Amino acid sequence: MTTLLEVQGLHKHFGGVQAVNSCSFTAAEGQITGLIGPNGAGKSTAIDLISGFKIPDSGKVRFEGREVQGKTPHVISRMGLIRTFQSPREWPGLSVLENLILACFEPRRERFWRSLRGPSRAEKEKANEQLVEARAILDEFGLFHLRNERAGNLSGGQKRLLEFARMRMAKPRLVILDEPMGGVNPVLGERMAAAVLGFVTAGTSVVIVEHNLPFIERVTDQVVVMAEGRVIAEAPFDQLRGNPAVVDAYLGELPTYDDAES
Amino acid sequence: MIDYLVTVLTEGSIFAIMALGLNIVWGWSGDFDLAFYGYVALGAYMTLVLTVGPATNPTTYILGLTLPFPLAVALAVVSAMVLALIVGAIALRHLRGIYFSIVTLGAVYVLYVVTGQYVPLFNGYNGVSGLFDPMGDVLGLDYSSYSFFYLGLCIAVLIIVLLLTTRLNGSRFGLALRSLREDERAAAAFGRDIYVTKLKAYVLGAGLGGLGGALYAGYLTAFNPSAWSPVETIILYAAILVGGRGSTRGVVLGVAVMVMGLQEATRYLPEIANQPSFAPALRLIITGVVLVLFIRFRPQGILPERRFRDKDPAGKGDAAAVEAMVAGPKLDTGAA
Amino acid sequence: MHEALLTLGFGLVAAAILSLSALAFTLEYSVTNVANLSHGEILTVGAYCAYLVQQHGGGVILSGLAAAAGGGLLALAVHNGVVDRFVRRGIGGLPTFIATLGVSLVIQNVLVIIFGASNLGYAVPQGAPRTVGPFLWTDTEIQIMVSTVVITVLLYVIIVHTRFGKSLRAVSQNRSLARVSGINANRVAALTWLLAGLIGGYAGFILAESVGTFSPYSGFSFFLITLTAAVAGGLGRAVGTLAGGIIVGIALEFFGGYVSASYNLAFAFAILSLVILVRPRGLFVGGRRSVFE
Repeated sequence: MTTLLEVQGLHKHFGGVQAVNSCSFTAAEGQITGLIGPNGAGKSTAIDLISGFKIPDSGKVRFEGREVQGKTPHVISRMGLIRTFQSPREWPGLSVLENLILACFEPRRERFWRSLRGPSRAEKEKANEQLVEARAILDEFGLFHLRNERAGNLSGGQKRLLEFARMRMAKPRLVILDEPMGGVNPVLGERMAAAVLGFVTAGTSVVIVEHNLPFIERVTDQVVVMAEGRVIAEAPFDQLRGNPAVVDAYLGELPTYDDAES
Repeated sequence: MIDYLVTVLTEGSIFAIMALGLNIVWGWSGDFDLAFYGYVALGAYMTLVLTVGPATNPTTYILGLTLPFPLAVALAVVSAMVLALIVGAIALRHLRGIYFSIVTLGAVYVLYVVTGQYVPLFNGYNGVSGLFDPMGDVLGLDYSSYSFFYLGLCIAVLIIVLLLTTRLNGSRFGLALRSLREDERAAAAFGRDIYVTKLKAYVLGAGLGGLGGALYAGYLTAFNPSAWSPVETIILYAAILVGGRGSTRGVVLGVAVMVMGLQEATRYLPEIANQPSFAPALRLIITGVVLVLFIRFRPQGILPERRFRDKDPAGKGDAAAVEAMVAGPKLDTGAA
Repeated sequence: MHEALLTLGFGLVAAAILSLSALAFTLEYSVTNVANLSHGEILTVGAYCAYLVQQHGGGVILSGLAAAAGGGLLALAVHNGVVDRFVRRGIGGLPTFIATLGVSLVIQNVLVIIFGASNLGYAVPQGAPRTVGPFLWTDTEIQIMVSTVVITVLLYVIIVHTRFGKSLRAVSQNRSLARVSGINANRVAALTWLLAGLIGGYAGFILAESVGTFSPYSGFSFFLITLTAAVAGGLGRAVGTLAGGIIVGIALEFFGGYVSASYNLAFAFAILSLVILVRPRGLFVGGRRSVFE
């Protein structure tokens, strides 16, 4: 099992508040790693630091063995690490299909002169293939009939699905999902779980931040628990239950099997 | 009457070229740039100082060459782009929203004050003049036919600009730009270099602004600080907003309505009100009111930007697509 | 040294006018999160109101009151007629900012139609210059500075010690939270704009007094300097804005006195751009951040 993402001693403070304090964990290739912790544990800040949206005060982030801390978001993204955000960030004024097409970053075709000259035959073919693939992915997520709709007009749950569809289109090496169940009707839970598991099948490893613990238990291979900016445990979910530090941090919020089943 | 029509159409095409440039910056890339008219002005000034020959006492300005008009226009466009590269490189680095607007407003005011006060540059408040009928003598045109020639030139340039922007609009470059406008963070998360992409759009837009300014200088024969102020930028914004932000045909319509139409509609007012500044002031009042009303009630404009419409692949007989659709992996919610 | 002190004295007068204008702008910004590009016109309208009163034989006090009233009414009208409607519709800060630019254009040109575009003289008997400590000030200049101090102290008392001030602070911190806790946020915002308008209108009056002439465009030019002071102090922060106004006012006077007065506006914007680029949250807050923080 190879390590895909390695976070080592990450620090970040805002004013006097130490948001992330010596945070270290790893995420393995081909696995789904959960990142959990009570509110204010520093999960979101940690994601921002890993994906380049915030600059760490100190510490290292290695992605596929290369150090990426302090690099800009687009550089990290091009290396194959793409993240989502707490609230869905679709491109609201573009159509659903355009949202999918834009998920594939193509440095050559997006150049100004190339765009001015128009696509070559090979590029046209590629674009056509992309279109076909985009339609198939939209169909898979039940969004096909909405493909010409303005993305901003979708419902909250549909926007989440659109984000998943964009990720599938982009095919990153690793995707970091920031609270994908937030604001989603629990009825869609199974569908979202299937989508998360679908990433691994498609060759994308996953790090997932989520408050919904049954969901975490359902999908993850490994769980990282954060509290007050630190990592307090790193183990498969079923081994966390007896961990006193984790129970302490959650003040006994950790679900029993009964909760998880329901 | 025909002379008047020629005048209105010439001005209209020149303003359409400028507005299409600004539309790249604001319509596609999403930056509310208040420095834009500075690039127009620089284009106009540079065209003049490159064509009208050395300054004679008491006027002073830089260069004072007698280059052929097309070459001067090209160099004017380049200088506008260089200035935009400098301003954009500074302003786009960290600033967005109102902070970007405020800094660009600052940049244009600095430029405005410097051109007005620093006489050796472009002859201060008196400006540069003397560009009569560019290319007229080379082509052997007399006074009466010249205005038709210049109108034709402006329309030809406008058509080229239209072709260029239409092509960019449908390209991946155009689509990527609009993703920055719609959500910058998401664009960065999907690999777009926001700074470089926005800077490209900014410089390109300024280049079209400079081109419009160069043609404007040839049309006005002269240019001075009273011919440009940030107010002119607002008129361009109003035209884009009314026509349809981001939409190429919308921008052309917007210029027709807000520049040519408004000019035409208020044409006979000075006689009525017996006050010289009445008509222009009224035009600006209408422009301001229209700006507010459109932002509030129809921000997408009369001809909204068009999204790519995917036809039903079955209907188009796109066999491969239909096949992919049928054979594609269906999400099995139970099995996963 | 003596000359420098004299310049400092003039700088304090400029700083007084600038501080009032910037405080008014910051008040508008704090409750609506909209940078009001038509703020300069509040000053302009104030100056015209004072001018009209003076033409009809009114004295300095009456002129000042008229200016404040005119500015206040205009600010209230802009808030209730445009800004508030935009904010309530959820139209973002930038589009509303653009709309206020449209409002600015309308007011300027209405004034052009009524009064003409050219400069009007605003002559008040300045009184002989007096020596006050190391400075040399005319009666008018003393009036400007004393009234500025009085207004600033009054404003401080209102913001810190009254119920309205408490609501104002609550709304500026978090409008929806304030509304949930039972504050009529729209009313507070409207009253704050009225208050800002009163101050802005008066600032227009003392600006006209100090410069001696004004036109429909004066307020907008002065607004550009106001913006420098407000941004330097940190948008929406009253104390910072006051400090920003004083620093920028004095800096401009020294620049004008020792380098060149014609480039004053350019200099102001050079400061502004520098501040925004180096410390976008104002001179008095700092930290290292990525673009997205």
